[in-house]
Amino acid sequence: MASNQTEAIESRDKQVKQYIVVQIGSEKYGIDISYVDNIVRMQKITRVPKAQPYFKGIINLRGEIVPVMSIRKKMGLEDDVITGASRIIILKIEDKGSLGVMVDAVNEVVNLTEDQIETNNISSSHAKDTFINGIGKNGDQLISLFEINAIIDEKDNV
Amino acid sequence: MDVSQYLEIFIDESGEHLQTLSDCIMELEKEPDNKDTINEIFRAAHSLKGMAGTMGFKRMQHLTHDMENVFQEVRNDTIKVDSQMIDLLFKCLDAIDGYLENIKASSDEGEEDNEVIIRELNNFLAKAEGKEPAPQETPQEAPREEAAADDADNRKYRKIDLTDSERDAVMTAKDSGLHIYGITVIIRKDCLLKAARAFLVFRAVEEIGEILVYRPSSQDIEDEKFEFDFSLYVGSPEELDKVIFAAKNVSEIEDVVGEELTDFSAKDEEKGQTKPAAVAAETKPEIKKPEVKKPEAKSQAPAKKPSGGKPATSRTVRVDIEKLDALMNQVSELIIAKNSLVSIGSTEEGGFNNQGFHEQIEYLERITTSLHESVMKVRMVPIESVVNKFPRMIRDLSRSLNKKMELIMTGEDTELDRTVVDQIGDPLQHLLRNSADHGLEDTAVRVQRGKPEVGSIFLNAYQEGNNVIIQVGDDGNGIDTEAVKGKAIERGIVTQEQADAMSQKEIIDLLFMPSFSMAKKITDISGRGVGLDVVKSNIEQLGGDVEVRTKLGVGTTFTVRLPLTLAIIQALMVVVRDEKYAIALASIANIESVPVTDIKYVEAKEVIHLRGCVIPLIRLDRLLDIEPREKDPENLTVVIVKRGDSQVGLVVDDLMGQQEIVIKSLGKYINGNKLISGATILGDGEVALILDVNTLM
Repeated sequence: MASNQTEAIESRDKQVKQYIVVQIGSEKYGIDISYVDNIVRMQKITRVPKAQPYFKGIINLRGEIVPVMSIRKKMGLEDDVITGASRIIILKIEDKGSLGVMVDAVNEVVNLTEDQIETNNISSSHAKDTFINGIGKNGDQLISLFEINAIIDEKDNV
Repeated sequence: MDVSQYLEIFIDESGEHLQTLSDCIMELEKEPDNKDTINEIFRAAHSLKGMAGTMGFKRMQHLTHDMENVFQEVRNDTIKVDSQMIDLLFKCLDAIDGYLENIKASSDEGEEDNEVIIRELNNFLAKAEGKEPAPQETPQEAPREEAAADDADNRKYRKIDLTDSERDAVMTAKDSGLHIYGITVIIRKDCLLKAARAFLVFRAVEEIGEILVYRPSSQDIEDEKFEFDFSLYVGSPEELDKVIFAAKNVSEIEDVVGEELTDFSAKDEEKGQTKPAAVAAETKPEIKKPEVKKPEAKSQAPAKKPSGGKPATSRTVRVDIEKLDALMNQVSELIIAKNSLVSIGSTEEGGFNNQGFHEQIEYLERITTSLHESVMKVRMVPIESVVNKFPRMIRDLSRSLNKKMELIMTGEDTELDRTVVDQIGDPLQHLLRNSADHGLEDTAVRVQRGKPEVGSIFLNAYQEGNNVIIQVGDDGNGIDTEAVKGKAIERGIVTQEQADAMSQKEIIDLLFMPSFSMAKKITDISGRGVGLDVVKSNIEQLGGDVEVRTKLGVGTTFTVRLPLTLAIIQALMVVVRDEKYAIALASIANIESVPVTDIKYVEAKEVIHLRGCVIPLIRLDRLLDIEPREKDPENLTVVIVKRGDSQVGLVVDDLMGQQEIVIKSLGKYINGNKLISGATILGDGEVALILDVNTLM
């Protein structure tokens, strides 16, 4: 963490983007913070029959109905295991409304400058890679950065 | 003057006037000599012109003005109403409607001058003038002219010849330090009691000054011996604005123009001169004139274009003041109830169990229910606004199809939620066109079949429980199911065997399939195949449904069923395993406890035989992909839902009871799910899904 902060100070005048780092399985993923409206604890999700399989259902977020998606299912991973660390990230997307995304845990918020983001070496051989538009290098940890549009996109990668 | 704030009112009212015009012209076509209708038309056209002028829509004003002139001639009996004229008038209405649409979209009337229509209108006028000179009023206002000229026309006070005694009076007043103003008051043409209005103007003006000169004389004005304007010289210590304002405050006054007069000796010389010179001469000494001219130009001078590109206007609902009063009363009661609860909470210990508390809760419940009803009522508008345009449409269709037909409408005052009313227009229009084009036979065929020559198309609207029913039908040929079958087979939609096994209803349902048109030839009226399927999906979007009844040779009736309200409904909450679902109470027929042993099978499907009806059973758990129970209990709880005549029994685990629920959308992400029409949040914060049982039947 200490190195993070020094890095953040060093790169203040460069293009800095903030990402929320979440845990999905063993991998770390980053979500652009400008899309994130809220992070809520796991709560009762009401199943919606006949919905797309990657939709877990809907929740009541302060009187609003918000659909919740399993990013694991959308990426073709095994089903979620809900633990005390599980969270729902509420994304706010213009003209489509709010969308909840289930993650295993929320780790931290990192600042990444442009040169810390690798965009070249993204192979598209594996289906789930299409959800990622870059890899952030934060010290020795690597963070896959989500392409939000791919997450909300209708196309089914399961 | 910035008029953009009036834009919405303008659009609303213009729409109303257009509707009135259309209705009246239809009437006029039937009875060309009805004076009342002609007067009504004249009034509407005149108001329309005035409003367009005020808002600065010159083209629209020009067109309405010319149209008004024609009506004027009709009113004066110089032109006879004929079908050619009616056609032209309808063309005018369409053109004005076009302007209005442009204004709605962009706050601007657009560039179309509609010169052809204007020329035709003028031809009519010319014809009339060939017979006898046009009456005075017509040339009196030429709104197309520049504001100044128009103005000058109205500034009749400039032309007043003073008698000696009047000049003395004026001079005396001037010497005593009063400002002398000449004003001309123009009364609206539809004003009924001109003398009374004039009297009110006198009284208002005399409160702040003294009237020195009347033109015509005060006696003549009292006897209504004047056209639509009169002029005054007023001596007043106040400013001109105030005098004009006082006069304008009287209702049914079209306009008041005026200026301060200073040079009375010059009057005599100017007298004989031509008008423009007089204007020039008088403009010079005026200091005030330029600034007063703007506001006084209220209806004559073209006002500025609305500033800025204010986009499409927001949707509004006109609300009866009584409805708002009821709303206000209920809110006051709500506050009283809240206060009572507060006082119980603060004065009594453990008060939550006492009787007063429960009474207040009940009271609160009553108020919220009636509050809900009132708010809903505020959103309700009669379907009149939509169906009013149909008689005109049928008339046009009658001409273009060369079939005789008439439209009979009932229940135009049936009320529906504003959002529903807005969207129901197109589907209804389509059904009517359908009836006119496909439904009704050609006149010759009708005569041959012994039917009345004039085909009737009907539109009946009425309320039934929580639904509004709109029936659209005709006494025409009916749907030839054999022909539909043939067409379906030909198109490869069904096979011969399938078609043979189809019930009458199933065949008719084929008509609602996308791009299934029965028209033998494609006309601009129907037959393009974008038809009934669109109607159906539009209506379903509104939470309604459509049914068809037809009898070959006798006629066809489409029955559109629409929910009265959106947003909040009464629902029955049911439980299936650990999931909760809401079913709209309006679609529930009854609830039965059915012993498992009573279940019978028809075509391997579960049915129950109940009071003479065979009702198919649907297991909600299977339908909703819930793990089935290992073993059925002895008695099944069956909720019987209905749509029209069809019924289905839904097997649920348990009932939770009736509840008022607020419908929330599932959002744009989750789709492909017609069965779930929305979700609602229960009292404990849990989310329950709303089942749209209509999709099950």
